[in-house]
Amino acid sequence: MKQYILRRVGYSLVSLFLLSLVIFLFVRVTGDPVSLLVEPGASPEDIENMRRQFGLDRPLWVQYWHFMASLATGDLGLSFYYRTPVLELYFQRLPNSLLLAAVAMALSLLIGIPSGILAAVRVGGFWDSAGKIFALLGLSLPSFWVGLVLILFFSVYLGWLPSSGSGTTLHLLMPAFTLGWYFAAAHMRLTRSSMLEVLGSEYIKLARLKGLPEALVIGKHAFKNALIPVITLAGINLVVMINVAVVVETVFAWPGIGRLLYEGITFRDFPIVQGVVIIGGGMIVLVNLLVDIFYALIDPRIRLES
Amino acid sequence: MLSSQRDHDDPIVRGTTARATRRELLSAAALGVLALGAKPARAAPDGELRIGAHVSLAPTWFDPAETSGIITPFMMLYAMHDAMMKAMPGNPMAPCLAESWTMAPDGLSYAFTLRKGVRFHNGEVLTAEDVKFSLERYRGASSKTLKERVAGVDIHDPHRLTIRLNQPWPDFLTFYASATGAGWIVPKKYVQQVGEDGFKKAPIGAGPYKFVSFTPGVELVCEAFEGYWRKAPAIKRLVFKVVPDEATRLAALQRGELDIAYSIRGELADELVRTPGLTIKPAVGSAPFWLYFPEQWDPQSPWHDRRVRLATNLALDLKTINQALTLGYSRLTGSVFPENFEFYWQPPAPVYDPARARKLLAEAGHARGFDAGDYYCDTSYANIGEVVLNNLREVGIRVKLRPLERAAFFKAYSEKKLKNIVQGASGAFGNCATRAEAFVAKGGTYAYGSYPDIDALFAEQAVQMDRAKREVILHRLQQLVHDKTIFAPIWQLAFISGVGPRVGQSGFGLIKGFVYTAPYEELTLKGKA
Repeated sequence: MKQYILRRVGYSLVSLFLLSLVIFLFVRVTGDPVSLLVEPGASPEDIENMRRQFGLDRPLWVQYWHFMASLATGDLGLSFYYRTPVLELYFQRLPNSLLLAAVAMALSLLIGIPSGILAAVRVGGFWDSAGKIFALLGLSLPSFWVGLVLILFFSVYLGWLPSSGSGTTLHLLMPAFTLGWYFAAAHMRLTRSSMLEVLGSEYIKLARLKGLPEALVIGKHAFKNALIPVITLAGINLVVMINVAVVVETVFAWPGIGRLLYEGITFRDFPIVQGVVIIGGGMIVLVNLLVDIFYALIDPRIRLES
Repeated sequence: MLSSQRDHDDPIVRGTTARATRRELLSAAALGVLALGAKPARAAPDGELRIGAHVSLAPTWFDPAETSGIITPFMMLYAMHDAMMKAMPGNPMAPCLAESWTMAPDGLSYAFTLRKGVRFHNGEVLTAEDVKFSLERYRGASSKTLKERVAGVDIHDPHRLTIRLNQPWPDFLTFYASATGAGWIVPKKYVQQVGEDGFKKAPIGAGPYKFVSFTPGVELVCEAFEGYWRKAPAIKRLVFKVVPDEATRLAALQRGELDIAYSIRGELADELVRTPGLTIKPAVGSAPFWLYFPEQWDPQSPWHDRRVRLATNLALDLKTINQALTLGYSRLTGSVFPENFEFYWQPPAPVYDPARARKLLAEAGHARGFDAGDYYCDTSYANIGEVVLNNLREVGIRVKLRPLERAAFFKAYSEKKLKNIVQGASGAFGNCATRAEAFVAKGGTYAYGSYPDIDALFAEQAVQMDRAKREVILHRLQQLVHDKTIFAPIWQLAFISGVGPRVGQSGFGLIKGFVYTAPYEELTLKGKA
């Protein structure tokens, strides 16, 4: 078991190293950030001064070495745009993202799981078709469009909700719904397929043959087992919601990490993009690592096979 | 930009042209359907003005020493700080903290007399020490030029000082007052007390509004400074709210959550015009656009023939382009020099005459048109290029659009690597002489060649300390630029904003060439003036 865990930790560290390398190179492919911080026609001298100030005049490998050395000490660098440590910016935005993600996740589970169960139980019927349409719309309608339509209807037309910003419960409703709908659709589809698989299994047939009430068969025996992959997916999705709700946070001017990432990309603020991606990637790697270890603990075949 | 996201974020650079993306069209369509039944919702509290910023506000903008050469930080500087002299309504260099100034006859020094009784927000009196400190502390755009040419600062008493130069420099005041942030004064004692980072977190200035709070990416709150020397602001509280999405900004303006929304473009600007109670406020900045013919000095090139360059000018249907892309609000000045710049000369209005363009091309030996190669532009402004290309094709000038990423474009432009046609632009500060230096005169960063008569005039004006004589020379220089058809000017770009029904004086357009609302002390709410 110890060897298994060590190997998994090693894989995780390699993944993070590769992620750091890829994101470091990719952000630099997007162009020169200095060009966005000066006027067109600015003197080459001013441009060079700014490049020097940001350390962009140094060779790429030196920049990468500096980035990794800082990362090892928990320093994600200084934002070009805000001239503030990236970690400080990240933690300023984190509570907003956690709040939005928590509410959106709750909504997505409250909508996605019951509708997935209903679709599986009534497979081929009205509720199944309705669920499929719901999932199709949730996954295919772009978030920015859903967000704008909600703003126009509930803010501009009805005047019930604030169009953007944060601070009150009312501010939270539209962004949480917009973000939650997409994930609700994903959770609904997974719940449905997982439930269908479980409902077709031998032990469910046995339970039915024993004459157990259908509610008990579905609610206790089938649901519990079908829920495992949904919860695993929800865990990963929660990390995604926290870190990359870029479109929703931008449309609703919600001051979270997704918008920080958007600002980083917009201004080619390399330290911000690198920092957010590394932290987000780190979270996903950590969740996967914990899931792997958890699976290995409860199922010895997994650690033996690997 | 206009369609690219980054272009939302800088009005002059990225400002205002409007290429309707699918997203904008969808937004506008939805707005159109719903706006008729729109309910005006909660308005901001009395005495508070809410401004919807299109770009995230950066703390570096609160510090004049960090001015990077873009216009956006001046949105903040005009609120929290004050300058020795600055652009004000009707005067591009109005005396502010400096009550008066004189240049020494030899042009080697400028003596300033400071306004008495001016205080910073913390109550400290503004003195010559603060002026010297601010100049020496400045590290933003053009700081090297400034510091190389300034020999030192002599303080005579708390309200009188002299800035000495190493050599006569006719453009000193242009650099000191507008092209840099060096003339915007910060309190020496306070900066030394709280340090550089502390100053950015809690800036103190001598402007009409005091800093109250700043939440990165969310909002900046400022409060009226009753002791502002010019006058106490009429509006007690300013809130700059960051709303990055354009459609959301417009919705917030329609709902009354914002009183002013910056940068509403294209289809959304049309919607703004149609919404009762809202007012569209276009402001023309200092960013002219043009076509440049880098091969005009090559006798083998078709562009060497002035008739071909003139035909290009005549082929451009600028009025239609302006209407289509900026609702007709950009200025068709016919010049590559901003009309609000010192020493500006107004050329004749541009003419659209495709028939004459074809005739000129025929005379130049291109009766059936010609393949003119590539048309280079910054990708952000490729939408302008697309329309221009159609105009050129109609008279027989066939070019291919070659959009380049912005940094790559300006790098290639300055390294003289581009050919055929270049779609250029500049929003850099300065005056007509500094523009000529970069784009027209021999050795200019973006000049691929030059003409001896223009170079002679440029050299002559550079040492001419008499302003009137210098103006004559620079007018003549601009006239030659026009006569030789070095460029085909397009427009001076407009930045479009929206104003809500509560606002009395919005401040837009009061300062020529400034695209944001200012001066803030002039702003009023209806019934509160």
